[in-house]
Amino acid sequence: MKLKDQNDKAVSSIVTEPRTEAEKSATIASPVSPAPTAPGRADGRPLPASVMTPPAPPPPPHLDDYKSIIGQAQIDTLRFLARELKGKTLKMVNSTAVGGGVAEMLNRLVPLLSELEVPTHWDVITGGNDFFEVTKAFHNALHGSSYELTKAAQEIFLMYNEQNRERMHFDEEMVVIHDPQPVGLIRSRGSSSAKWVWRCHIDLSNPDAKVWEFLRPFVEQFDAAIFSSQSFARQLPIPQYLFYPCIDPLSEKNKELPDSLVQKVCDEFGIDRARPIVTQVSRFDRLKDPVGVVQAYKLAKKYVDCQLVLAGGGASDDPEGAAVLQEVKEAAGNDRDIIILDLPPWCAFEINAIQRASTVVVQKSLKEGFGLTVTEALWKGKPTIGGAVGGIPNQIVHKLTGVLVHSVEGCAFQIRYLLTHPEYAQRLGVSGREHVKENFLITTNVKRWLLLFRILQEAKAKG
Amino acid sequence: MAVHDPALRNSPTRKPSRAFYFNTSEHLLRIERQKAATLSELLQALQSCPEDSIFQHTFRTLQEHHFIRQGFSNDFAHWSLSACNEPVLAEQLASVDVREFTAIEGLRRRMVEIVDEFLEKHPRAGSHAGHEPFYFCASDIVVLPTAFVADSLSGFLDGLNQVSVHSIHHHFIEARLRLHRMSNDFSQWLEEEVGLEGAAESIERIDIYTNTMEGVRRQIAGFVQKALNSNGGGA
Repeated sequence: MKLKDQNDKAVSSIVTEPRTEAEKSATIASPVSPAPTAPGRADGRPLPASVMTPPAPPPPPHLDDYKSIIGQAQIDTLRFLARELKGKTLKMVNSTAVGGGVAEMLNRLVPLLSELEVPTHWDVITGGNDFFEVTKAFHNALHGSSYELTKAAQEIFLMYNEQNRERMHFDEEMVVIHDPQPVGLIRSRGSSSAKWVWRCHIDLSNPDAKVWEFLRPFVEQFDAAIFSSQSFARQLPIPQYLFYPCIDPLSEKNKELPDSLVQKVCDEFGIDRARPIVTQVSRFDRLKDPVGVVQAYKLAKKYVDCQLVLAGGGASDDPEGAAVLQEVKEAAGNDRDIIILDLPPWCAFEINAIQRASTVVVQKSLKEGFGLTVTEALWKGKPTIGGAVGGIPNQIVHKLTGVLVHSVEGCAFQIRYLLTHPEYAQRLGVSGREHVKENFLITTNVKRWLLLFRILQEAKAKG
Repeated sequence: MAVHDPALRNSPTRKPSRAFYFNTSEHLLRIERQKAATLSELLQALQSCPEDSIFQHTFRTLQEHHFIRQGFSNDFAHWSLSACNEPVLAEQLASVDVREFTAIEGLRRRMVEIVDEFLEKHPRAGSHAGHEPFYFCASDIVVLPTAFVADSLSGFLDGLNQVSVHSIHHHFIEARLRLHRMSNDFSQWLEEEVGLEGAAESIERIDIYTNTMEGVRRQIAGFVQKALNSNGGGA
């Protein structure tokens, strides 16, 4: 379970019901998979007590807190951009107040926009289990899974959207609907002059045709759509914008850490900082190819001494994750330099420290959304090796901000090369951090929202 | 003693009659409808895409990658190498200096010419699918003021050192498309308002492809500082 952030008070309604049947059953081991395990180390030793309980959430940062990171000139730009929008209101609508990347992002974005005097309201749709079962199925189908769209599913989807429409008010100048679940709220726009925007966080490059054809008429009524990658977009009659996902440089996961804390975390997990550390942070999921990372490490280790840290989660609440963890352990064998950590979801600080301690970071995904773990590694100035899939090539410009690989062998070679060419590795790290600073920080996203709001307001003024 | 440094020609400076307003431009990336899976499709799309797209993938992409000192020139060159594995074409496209163009149409013609000539020589390369398609994008642009207005050379140097690199890009690189001449806002003001013809010329010759935008800023500031020093801090 994720912690509720202090910003949740900005949320007017919160979904508390359990979600899909699939989610409810996720904690039950499938007969063919190993039973999910409690978080821990692969060598059987328990995790340090400090990571077993969730920490209290820190207060949200203010705009000026980012000055030391992005500079006064960029803060000024945000203020100049917001000046013409002063008092104009914005509403964000999504389907969950806690948990998941969208809620996490809105938790930071909403207070920053409001601080810039663009009052931003965040509303969350409500629905029963049947609604969220349908929307979960839609989500998977839009990602390309096969799905039989039934009349009943369509009716459930429309009924809950209508219920929410009756409950909600849309008095703002711009309304942003996140993802497909609340897309039917567009029917509320009526003759209002407000601008409506659909922010799609999911990959629509290969959707189930029937589900997309069901949703498309709603999407086409918006004034604009936003996607996270060029390749995720669809052919639509409305303007489509590109907003990259982002990280918060002041969050637990990404804030600067004193070396003493990095050392403390390494000591707790048995990571030797005197020797090179290669790390992949990801769920134990086959699409992240953790077994491929172990193979690449073993190939590289024939030439250069190093340790491998595989830090992630997912094995404790997901039968498939437990199976993948088992495969990783088998691939690792009894190599004591492979440190496998199945961490609870609230271990952002520990992940931060491990990334900072790393010599090279790997994200050898076989399929990926955007790949925020790559963003995190680049932000920490780490030479990063990424699979050339999904949003990773948007972040890793090959040999300039990191290196892209297509195979275990390619990954192994790049590990060897980066560990033996520290100056080159450092150059990549410096450029990678700049790339994130320019494109993938929360402050850049604030700028994008302000730009979009201004552009749509100007279009409205021109008629 | 003869002055060989062009930056110091035409000293001493004069008090500017018109202030320099440091502005900046911010861009919102739009995903366009066109995409190219092969070099032949790239050629077709280059001929027909909106000017905004040519601007995005040349001028604007330089701004997005302003921190890279070498190896990045424009998106067409990058795709030719990374997706199509055509280093010759990539080098030819990368050698196009956007500052040689005062209008997008000329830049488009040059890009089309290069791809066309390459495909004439290597016709089979045209139909090979790249690892990933080239997605044409464009930008919606908003020009904004900054906190800096200079009515003296020292004020100019102060603003130059404090504005964002986007402001430097706006005045130094994008300016050609506004001015429709082979110059930039900084050189124009320094020459016309302060009488620093030599510094204006030196600034115009800064190589943006072997410098980061911070490096460009430092070089411009260096020329202005020299002029200030040679005038005992005047103007």
